[in-house]
Amino acid sequence: MLRLEDVSVSYGRVAALSGVSLEVRPGELVSLIGANGAGKSTTLKTISGLLRPAAGRITWDGAPIAGLPPGEILRRGIAHCPEGRRVFPHLSVRENLVMGALLRRDSAGIREDLEAMYARFPRLRERAAQAAGTLSGGEQQMLAIARALMSRPRLVMFDEPSLGLAPNLVEQVFEIVQEVRRQGLMVLMVEQNALAALSLCDRAYLLETGRVVRAGTGAELLESSDVREAYLGGRAFAA
Amino acid sequence: MDQALQHLVNGTVLGGTYALLGIGLTLIFGVMRVVNFTHGELYTFGAYMTYALVSLLQLDFFLSLLLATLLGVALGAAIEVLLLRPLRGADIDSVMLAMIGAALVLQNAAMWAWGGVAKLVPTPFGGTPLVLGPVSVMPLRLFVLGVACALLLGFWLLLERTRAGIAMRATFQDSETASLMGVRVGWVSTATFAIGSGLAAAAGALLGPVFMVSPTMGDLVGLKAFAIVILGGLGNLPGAVIGGFALGYVEEFGGGFVSTEYRDAFGFLLIILVLAIRPQGLVALKERVG
Repeated sequence: MLRLEDVSVSYGRVAALSGVSLEVRPGELVSLIGANGAGKSTTLKTISGLLRPAAGRITWDGAPIAGLPPGEILRRGIAHCPEGRRVFPHLSVRENLVMGALLRRDSAGIREDLEAMYARFPRLRERAAQAAGTLSGGEQQMLAIARALMSRPRLVMFDEPSLGLAPNLVEQVFEIVQEVRRQGLMVLMVEQNALAALSLCDRAYLLETGRVVRAGTGAELLESSDVREAYLGGRAFAA
Repeated sequence: MDQALQHLVNGTVLGGTYALLGIGLTLIFGVMRVVNFTHGELYTFGAYMTYALVSLLQLDFFLSLLLATLLGVALGAAIEVLLLRPLRGADIDSVMLAMIGAALVLQNAAMWAWGGVAKLVPTPFGGTPLVLGPVSVMPLRLFVLGVACALLLGFWLLLERTRAGIAMRATFQDSETASLMGVRVGWVSTATFAIGSGLAAAAGALLGPVFMVSPTMGDLVGLKAFAIVILGGLGNLPGAVIGGFALGYVEEFGGGFVSTEYRDAFGFLLIILVLAIRPQGLVALKERVG
């Protein structure tokens, strides 16, 4: 289980997160929603070790992990699938997947997982030797997700997985996210598409200017009037 | 025609070592965005270490080449840890000035340690050239070419076929995402600078015995390394190899057919032409590291 208690982060003098507390329990899919600049990506980057919290505690299975290097956090089972896909454009599709398993030493297991990813995403198998930069946006997103899974994580964090994708691909991506959860992994997802994020998740947190302003089940947040107004297109949506 | 063949052979020998210099420099730029002014000094260092090991310590010539290269790797690692690591995040001007300073220190250290008189490195290769039809070549030069090609091939295999190589290339392309995959970016920077420096030292160790060893031998070579890298496109590894051979041939053919005096000028003329016509470099391959 992942728990953040009163976590604050700042970029120089600008506070990006102030006193954020949240948790992801075993088997859960948790969504973080909020406007641009609310601190959603910052939260994920802090969990994965790219940023250091100025204050607060982050624990994973009870052990503090704040301030550990990203590699150590990955080794402990938290993978981060970053915003904008961030595949390595000049590495082949296969090499990108191998990068996901960089910390693993079980070559037989890695081969097995590669095979499983190719079976799940046949497009990646077709393009295994091709540079990842030549893939379409949707294919790159599949690759980014597969790469994150190659580390055999127990918790995966997806940052805006549907960003910039065509509607039919958006649906596919959300299906994959649900599939990942069904396999027993914990998921923490940041999404601009609040309707989708709230419908899929068990619980959600609404961030505004670096603070958690609302928390509850997806259904509760979908019902709340301020969430509707601000993120789901106002009252017109209810009608 | 016979003369052309001879120049072709000489140009290939020269080009092999230029390629070593070029990939070292372009690798460091591609990964670290550091313009490495110490590159020529590492070349000088490799040459002097070979001289010291062979002439003063009386070690085996081949062992000395290997040790000189490894010492270059160590010196490169030390420069990265002591000088570049504290400057990480500093602006490019500060880093450039620091590297120019380091180059001056290294060159003056060489002057102080070895004196200004050029040294000759004895080799086990005889002075009689091998004659193959119309072409004659000194055995030492053939050996230099062979080692240069083996190093280029070894480096390519390291980068393409090993997990460390994949991690290195991933770091060139996106260091933040690479760190999310568990790459220790600081360590990759040290390794990159050390390997790049080792390649420069190897070039110096190989060419030192061919020419003479002097404290300022790295000046022109450092400049040429930049020329090679610009020819191939900054941060472009295959480009640096092609740029290295291109420079070798241009110097050799220009020197042979037009004027020996202007030998070095032909290389720079080529660079001016390339910059004017194709500023992105001779080869715009998709496999750019940067």
